[in-house]
Amino acid sequence: MVSKEEIMKIAILSKLFVGEDEIDGLTEDMDKIIAFADTINNASDEGTDFDNINNLSNVLREDEVIPSYDREKILANAKDSDDGCFLVKNIMK
Amino acid sequence: MKYEMVAGFETHVELATNTKIFCSCTTQFGGEPNTHCCPVCIGLPGTLPKLNKKVVEYAIKAGLATNCEIAEISKMDRKNYCYPDLPKAYQISQFDMPLCEHGYVELSNGRKIRLTRIHIEEDAGKLVHSRGNTLVDYNRGGVPLIEIVSEPDIRTIDEAREYVEKLQLIMRYIGVSDCKMQEGSMRCDVNISVRPVGSETLGTRTEIKNMNSINFIAKAMEYEFNRQVDLIESGEKVVQETLRYDDVTNTTSSMRGKEDANDYRYFRDPDLVTINVPRERVEEIKATLPELPAAKLKRYVEELGLPEADAQLLTKYRRIAEYYEEAIQGTKNPKTAANFIIGQIFRHVENEAEKEAFNINVSAENLNALIKLIDSGKIRMNLAKSTLDKMLETGKKPSELLSESDMAGLDENTLNDLCRQAVKSNPNAVNDYKNGKEKAIKSLVGFVMKNSRGKADALTAESKIKELIK
Repeated sequence: MVSKEEIMKIAILSKLFVGEDEIDGLTEDMDKIIAFADTINNASDEGTDFDNINNLSNVLREDEVIPSYDREKILANAKDSDDGCFLVKNIMK
Repeated sequence: MKYEMVAGFETHVELATNTKIFCSCTTQFGGEPNTHCCPVCIGLPGTLPKLNKKVVEYAIKAGLATNCEIAEISKMDRKNYCYPDLPKAYQISQFDMPLCEHGYVELSNGRKIRLTRIHIEEDAGKLVHSRGNTLVDYNRGGVPLIEIVSEPDIRTIDEAREYVEKLQLIMRYIGVSDCKMQEGSMRCDVNISVRPVGSETLGTRTEIKNMNSINFIAKAMEYEFNRQVDLIESGEKVVQETLRYDDVTNTTSSMRGKEDANDYRYFRDPDLVTINVPRERVEEIKATLPELPAAKLKRYVEELGLPEADAQLLTKYRRIAEYYEEAIQGTKNPKTAANFIIGQIFRHVENEAEKEAFNINVSAENLNALIKLIDSGKIRMNLAKSTLDKMLETGKKPSELLSESDMAGLDENTLNDLCRQAVKSNPNAVNDYKNGKEKAIKSLVGFVMKNSRGKADALTAESKIKELIK
């Protein structure tokens, strides 16, 4: 069973606001998710190389520069910007 | 009670690749904010990172140069934390399968500082706090780093200093980073605790974050050592926390509260495939490593017969060592070139950056030519020294600065004449010498040197004069 405290801890780490009335519902949901993971754990994994699941390794790039994007494009989705930078709420107290 | 310091380092070194670790944006320092960015390094959904081959190669080089074992299989993991310098809210790093492990760096006192691991990861963006807001520039986001983690093997500030200098030197030698601390391409986190001398258990440690100068590291460690000893002596406890060092007040202060206790929820990055490092590849990379500074120093002392202090000065920068080795090619005495470089050429390269670049007017080839003129007896040391000064000023070859007669040497007859003149013109000195004043001979030799314009050999002249006076 997932505890309310664990839900709150995960919420804080994820910077999510969780209301008092949401905790019970989230606890149940999280229990279901973990139960699902248990189902997977019970499945046979004999002969499966989890470090190389898609049989791919060393997909590498050459160290060659490709021009970067225009700044307008980079900042296009920013909620706010200033001086060519993304602007976010002050994180220093 | 006497206390000892126990310290370990986490050192971030920016790799000198052309492009970022997971995209093809440039890694150039500076540049207008957010102009070295693309959808991958600003973490847009749906983008796919692709690992830079050179990053793997450089990290392996760094591992080999610090006596690490290189993993056969390695992988990338996500380190989750939420902060605006990380656009994805996770940093791609390595958790349990780093590329390099179990190395060491040996200090001059013979102690080995063990390295736990070296792993590759991406750098975060830069935050600027202004007018109640935070501005984010992602140019640095995604620049490749290696993190070199040491065991808590450092016991003194001097050892800490030497450890950082050694790492810097090694990384520069093998060409994986410029390690410019003031530009942030090398940064250290210092874990430090204290314990009574003789105790084997570790005390509670604190971590001083993001130090970018060796002097600040030394000062911060000294402050933190004293602070922890004071706490223990007064019956209080050291709290495990992350600290920031303030170089203006020379104090440390707490950075994060306990509620933020690290919980990075590492898991494998499903976007990036396994890294396999075949043993042949490790051997190939090993073959490209230059002679490392420690080995070079040893060779200069043991094989070339240089004093250790000189050897240290010459091996501290790779370019200077290369220059020196080119200058002594085919010459008789390796000390001559060392003296010229340390005594005369170093006056023209004053700071670290200039020594690093070592762009001087005299090519190694020209210095070599000058030394060969000494070796063949064509010019004497005095003339060579003044010629080198002229070479440093003009950039000319010795053959352009020395006339035929300068290089003709001094024939026996002329030398004999000059010695006779010296005796004739300086009766006082001759008398003094005869009366037992050994030093008086020097002024007679000086006469010969002056009138031969430095071409005479002082020792030969002295013995000839002694003959004449007898």
